[in-house]
Amino acid sequence: MRMKSDRVPSVRKRLLTLLLLPAVAILVAGTLGDYFTVIAPFREAYDQALIDTAIALAGRVVSRSDGRPTFFLPPDAAAILRRDKIDSIYFRVSGPGGSLIYGDADLPELPGTGANPVRGSVTYRGAPIRLVSYRTLAGSALVTISVGETLQKRNRAQTAVLTTAVAVDAAELGLILLLIWLGVRLALAPLGNVAAQIYRRSARDLAPLPIERVPIEIRGVVEALNRLFARVTRASAEQRRFLESAAHQLRTPLTGIQAQIELLIDDEAEPSRQERLRLILDGARRLSHTTHQLLALARSDEAATLDRKFEEVDLAAVVATVVNERITSAFATGIDFGADMDPAKISGVPWLLAEAVGNLADNALTYTPAGGRVTVRCGHGPAPFLLVSDTGSGIAPGDRERVLDRFYRGGNARGDGSGLGLAIVQEVAQLHGATLAIDAGAGGEGTIVKLQFPDPEAGTAV
Amino acid sequence: MRVLIVEDDPLVGDAVRRALESHGYAVDLVASAEAAGSALQAESFDLAVVDIGLPRASGLQLVRAQRRRGAMMPVLILTARDGLDDRVTALDLGADDYLTKPFQVPELVARCRALIRRANALSSTQLAFGVLRLDLARREVSMDAKAIDLTHREWSILECLILNAGRIVSKERLKSAVVNWSGDLTPNAIEVYVSRLRAKLVGAANIRAVRGMGYRIDAHEK
Repeated sequence: MRMKSDRVPSVRKRLLTLLLLPAVAILVAGTLGDYFTVIAPFREAYDQALIDTAIALAGRVVSRSDGRPTFFLPPDAAAILRRDKIDSIYFRVSGPGGSLIYGDADLPELPGTGANPVRGSVTYRGAPIRLVSYRTLAGSALVTISVGETLQKRNRAQTAVLTTAVAVDAAELGLILLLIWLGVRLALAPLGNVAAQIYRRSARDLAPLPIERVPIEIRGVVEALNRLFARVTRASAEQRRFLESAAHQLRTPLTGIQAQIELLIDDEAEPSRQERLRLILDGARRLSHTTHQLLALARSDEAATLDRKFEEVDLAAVVATVVNERITSAFATGIDFGADMDPAKISGVPWLLAEAVGNLADNALTYTPAGGRVTVRCGHGPAPFLLVSDTGSGIAPGDRERVLDRFYRGGNARGDGSGLGLAIVQEVAQLHGATLAIDAGAGGEGTIVKLQFPDPEAGTAV
Repeated sequence: MRVLIVEDDPLVGDAVRRALESHGYAVDLVASAEAAGSALQAESFDLAVVDIGLPRASGLQLVRAQRRRGAMMPVLILTARDGLDDRVTALDLGADDYLTKPFQVPELVARCRALIRRANALSSTQLAFGVLRLDLARREVSMDAKAIDLTHREWSILECLILNAGRIVSKERLKSAVVNWSGDLTPNAIEVYVSRLRAKLVGAANIRAVRGMGYRIDAHEK
């Protein structure tokens, strides 16, 4: 099952979420705060203008001789008062009991409270207006002067303030978001570097990671990795020592037994005893062969954990060694055993490659009758390859997968094989990033086993 | 011909001793590098067969010490380890050839014979190869005391093949052996010389072509 990417915990995502959400909230609150702070003085100033007008109008109220208040405003002054490009100005002067003395008869007036003047917002002629009512005494009579104004200027100012505040704060918000994003990115870069360093290294590179430049927060992780690397390296070294001494302890007595039997066969005149000695010799050789194969398999496993043994290998040199070592037995069985070598360089473990190619050649020589042909080829095109072809009995298509299994022997298996040969080839191929393909030869005759290595230039398998 | 065998495993040591003795070599068998050192100080040998995995001082240390002393005798290393490291180290330290355990007795004998033959070619002008007798100084070869008539180029090819007997010798190598005696060689010239040589050596040696690799000579033993 593939894990959904948003389920994978990410430090960067967490940091961004934890920093960005509060930052956005704080900035929005700040914008609102700015708005209300700036808008209050505007409202006060406009209100004050209305109050000033009301007080100025109050100066025009005169008490007549009969004690009733009267109001006079020259028409020019009234026109000036009402002239406003943006808003409509309304006013009304009333005497005791609300009787109209002058002005807009239907303009409401605010009821007297403790404050003088009284301010308020009302609806007049279908539009919201701001209204001020100022009370003064003319003689002994109470006169109320109310001045009202529509809200156009106030709304415009409000809009202007709001627009500016939002624009400035939005720019600020954007800048802060960018800084947080950059900051998180930069702060987490060392983490990414460590990850990239681990990712880039070969799976077999067990050298400790440098600890000096690693951020303190993940130093523990890297140290744990280094301890693990050290443990694997130690275990691998122990395994290698074990295999080396096992190889020596097993092979030396087997060599002695085989050689002694060979010499006994030469000395033995009695044919039936000679025959029995030959059977013993065959058994000893099978045992030797299996021992060798098992050790090779174990050592290729061991080599898979370390890459300090990888070096530049010329496949042509490997082929030459393999052919040289087997030409005598090929001559003896009458097989045309040859090579076709073009330069092909890969990075690998020379003896393991020789082991693999040797196994392929041994198989080919075993399953090819006298007069047949076995060819070991190597070359580069488009990537390094190595193949062994024979004119032998071939491997049935249904068997081609299974012959790679350890100890599996094909339907027409022959000779003293252990069933490990192709498993070793497969193991060595995997170790070198090569693919193994088994096919029939030209015209369906014989077998071609091909090892296709990755292109050392491209770094990928072709 | 005297051979020193340095092998601590009695079963293997005895087998190698018997095999070489049955081919007419005089054999001394010791079980440690120290004993081998004393033997080599006291006597001279034509060949040493040395196991790498000796107790205490290893076979490689023995070879290095002998080469430092200036001992020229050829050394065949026996090793129970796979992996080319030991073999490469052995050859770097001055061993002449190596054989991996388990080996077959005829292979061991053939390697010993080839090493002694090659060493003799350096110190003596006479060389035996099966029924052939070669005089390296006079560039003559005979079979059963009967001289075989070879051209300069045929002789050079035969000498190169015999000094590398048991191994496949590439055409390039043969070409460079011949080229001292001529100007240009056509690509097929080597094949022509080899087939002429084959005809002249019938009954004495067998030169076989290995497709894509070169030629190998094998002696017809008496």
